[in-house]
Amino acid sequence: MKQDSLYDLAPWSRHYTSGGTGKLAPPESQNLPQMLVAASKAFAAQSAFTCVTPNGMYGTLTYAQVDQMSDDFAVYLREVIGLKAGARVAVQTPNCLSTPVAIFGILKAGCVLVNTNPLYTEREMKHQFNDAGVEALVLIDMFADKMATIARETNVKHVVLCSVSSFFPPVVRQIIKGIQKYWNKVIPTTNLAHLTINDALAKGALARNDLRIDVSQYWKRLAQNDLALLQYTGGTTGVSKGAMLTHGNLLWNIEQILAIGRDKIDMGRETVLTALPIYHIFAFTANLLTFYRCGARNLLIPSPRPIQNLQRAFENYKVTWISGVNTLFNALLNEEWFVAFPPKHLKAAIGGGAAMHSAVVKRWEAVTGAPLAEGYGLTESSPAVCFQPLSGLRKTDSIGIPAHETAVRLVDDNGEPVAQGEPGEIIVRGPQVMLGYWNQAEESAKTIRDGWLYTGDIAVMDSDFMFKIVDRKKDLIIVSGFNVYPNEVEDAIAKHDKVMEAAVIGVPDAKTGEAVRAYVVKRDDSLTEAELAAHCRTLLTGYKLPAKIIFRDELPKTPIGKILRKDLRKEALAATQAPAA
Amino acid sequence: MLTELETKLLGVMMMLIMFGMGASLTFRDFLIAFKKPKGVLIGLLCQYGIMPFLGYALAVILGLPPALAVGLILMGCMPGGTTSNIFTYFSKGVLALSIMMTSVSTLVAVVAVPALLELYSNLAGVSGAFKIPAENVAQVLVVLLVPTVLGMLLRKWNANIGAVVELMGGFLGVVVILFLIGSWVPRNYQLLLSTPWPVYFAAIGLGVIGMLLGYWLARLLRQDNNRSRTISLETGIQNGPLAVLIVTLTFTGTMQQEVLLIPVLYSLFIVITSSLVTYFYRGRSEREALARDQAKIGTMIGASPAAA
Repeated sequence: MKQDSLYDLAPWSRHYTSGGTGKLAPPESQNLPQMLVAASKAFAAQSAFTCVTPNGMYGTLTYAQVDQMSDDFAVYLREVIGLKAGARVAVQTPNCLSTPVAIFGILKAGCVLVNTNPLYTEREMKHQFNDAGVEALVLIDMFADKMATIARETNVKHVVLCSVSSFFPPVVRQIIKGIQKYWNKVIPTTNLAHLTINDALAKGALARNDLRIDVSQYWKRLAQNDLALLQYTGGTTGVSKGAMLTHGNLLWNIEQILAIGRDKIDMGRETVLTALPIYHIFAFTANLLTFYRCGARNLLIPSPRPIQNLQRAFENYKVTWISGVNTLFNALLNEEWFVAFPPKHLKAAIGGGAAMHSAVVKRWEAVTGAPLAEGYGLTESSPAVCFQPLSGLRKTDSIGIPAHETAVRLVDDNGEPVAQGEPGEIIVRGPQVMLGYWNQAEESAKTIRDGWLYTGDIAVMDSDFMFKIVDRKKDLIIVSGFNVYPNEVEDAIAKHDKVMEAAVIGVPDAKTGEAVRAYVVKRDDSLTEAELAAHCRTLLTGYKLPAKIIFRDELPKTPIGKILRKDLRKEALAATQAPAA
Repeated sequence: MLTELETKLLGVMMMLIMFGMGASLTFRDFLIAFKKPKGVLIGLLCQYGIMPFLGYALAVILGLPPALAVGLILMGCMPGGTTSNIFTYFSKGVLALSIMMTSVSTLVAVVAVPALLELYSNLAGVSGAFKIPAENVAQVLVVLLVPTVLGMLLRKWNANIGAVVELMGGFLGVVVILFLIGSWVPRNYQLLLSTPWPVYFAAIGLGVIGMLLGYWLARLLRQDNNRSRTISLETGIQNGPLAVLIVTLTFTGTMQQEVLLIPVLYSLFIVITSSLVTYFYRGRSEREALARDQAKIGTMIGASPAAA
């Protein structure tokens, strides 16, 4: 095929900074624990993670401490509670010191990590835990009450609770706990059977000494093709399912990210700010794994909202790298303290999660003097697929070029490559592409065909052979980087007795990229917007909630009765573009 | 009156409070305040425009005798109290603005307080023995800058210790007021019983009217609701212990007792009134935050729950 060869010749290669080949040496490690242990040894005495609270209080763990504590946690999982290799263990925390300890411990135990959003509702938690077959859970104490209500409906037999202040210096820890418990009242009392993370580590350490366990025996034989992570996503079709990412997927993606940033990364000398949640694949791979491998100090921000929570972190540490989404960068640029004193030592920023606005990118680069490179990726690809080179040709409205060792084509509905400048669905092949979806053979087969991952995103390749996203194939709504599936929101709305039917679409939003809008036909005239919004809040996480609910007498439909979301979208767009009367 | 030991203790506590206040600050905060001075300027206007005049006006309108007038005017001229930061925190106001206003007004106090005190004392016709020498005031304020700067250095050296000292300094502010009440009220209850209502009105009114005027001036100058509430608390809450310290260092005997009456009463009642106002403001803040959330749900990725 003529056009086939266009993409397969990788005409974008000239934009690669390092030699222009797009080739990469394979990862040195066979599995993630091997990489983690190597970094822990190389940078043992250095600070690995520093959790920074809004008032500047902090707790720090060194590489050696993280190594030892995650070893203890691995022994706890394997010996104390008797999990087998391959058992699924969920981590449901905001960014805090317990997060890396738990995650690395799970991987070292040869278990499979299940990243879970702490803001999930009980219903969402239950679905995810049962689907993944989670046996043990590391949970933030603030949400122990949610777990208590569903614990019996899951197979989770062991719960380990941690706090934002876990592993902080004692006085500071007590103050933070006191404020959380008695002033903010965010720590519920619960009858959920659990162990604290400190107790779990103590038990693990005890067993390690008693049984003289060499933790490396748990992971020595793990190969690149072995499963490391179930990262839940609606995928491109809607039902929440676990993308199966292997040790190799993640190790390769680390190298691919490093290939982009290497010129601006000094091993053992960087400080990266992690304001995005680690349970999201972007921060998981880009911040947690990649920068651990580089011996960086990782600043963990438990909550980036309000954005002022980042002020002390920027003031007290020489931040050299930061990752974020459009919303985060935009919010920082609207802060007096940030604009007055932009981070002097910043080398680069990585944007992703959702489309960056070129106005924000330009302003960021003007204020900080460091490049903001946009990346494109998805959960199914660990996530990085495309990136903007940090030097050379800069295009702020583009997603740049494919990562090293990554083949990308744009294809039409028949899977045939489209011509340059023509829109087509992005399909991807590379070492970072997942095995498939957990227990979803059919969905997997739909998404990965002949080794190509069908992303559902439509892009064009411009005259410089750079890519630009133009539309999404499916009706997926992306709110600040989080996927929202109209089906799920519609289902939740429809559960209300007074609702006849509902259609949900995404509308452009200056703050979140897209906002969820619901069109609802009432069954009972007494239904109010507030009543329906309250109902949705019991079923859906914040970002999935409709920002606006519009009542209608009827919804546009196809002859066979399928609701036409695209007509509603067109109408909503026309309304925003129409000049104000 | 306070015993010499109590006066010394008060001095030490003031030092610790200012140490705590310093620990809440970074040098960068000041630089930002100078680069973007609007909020702080409005704060200063409220602090040194409204309050001293209010003290003077109340003294004249209520026809207070010189001893009480000088106490009231002194109270009005004081910089912002460090306890305002705690109340701002609890009312969910703009903590950074409150801290900034307290510290800038404390810095400016070295010049502003002696000058304003002189001006309004003369206007009110206070003279002779009841006049507080400007040098005394300036001296006390300069001395208090030392622990403030030490606090800032501590913060820079270790953010954890700085944050803990900041918290303790704030609570110490409340403790000092309780200490004043505890040691002063029992010994002077007769005086309290015989004190006429205009004195109570002046002591309570200074804080309450100051908060009201501060709020509306801030609104007038187009500050949003939350900032206006912060400025309001900051304006109304004066550094009571500082006034008590200055009085005890300047006067002795019965004279001290008379002048001290209004600063002590003010300190006593401001804890009560600002607690009530804080409770009210907190409710308003929460309602507004809720309405905002409703308008833009899920604006930020990773809206993870607030830490401390």
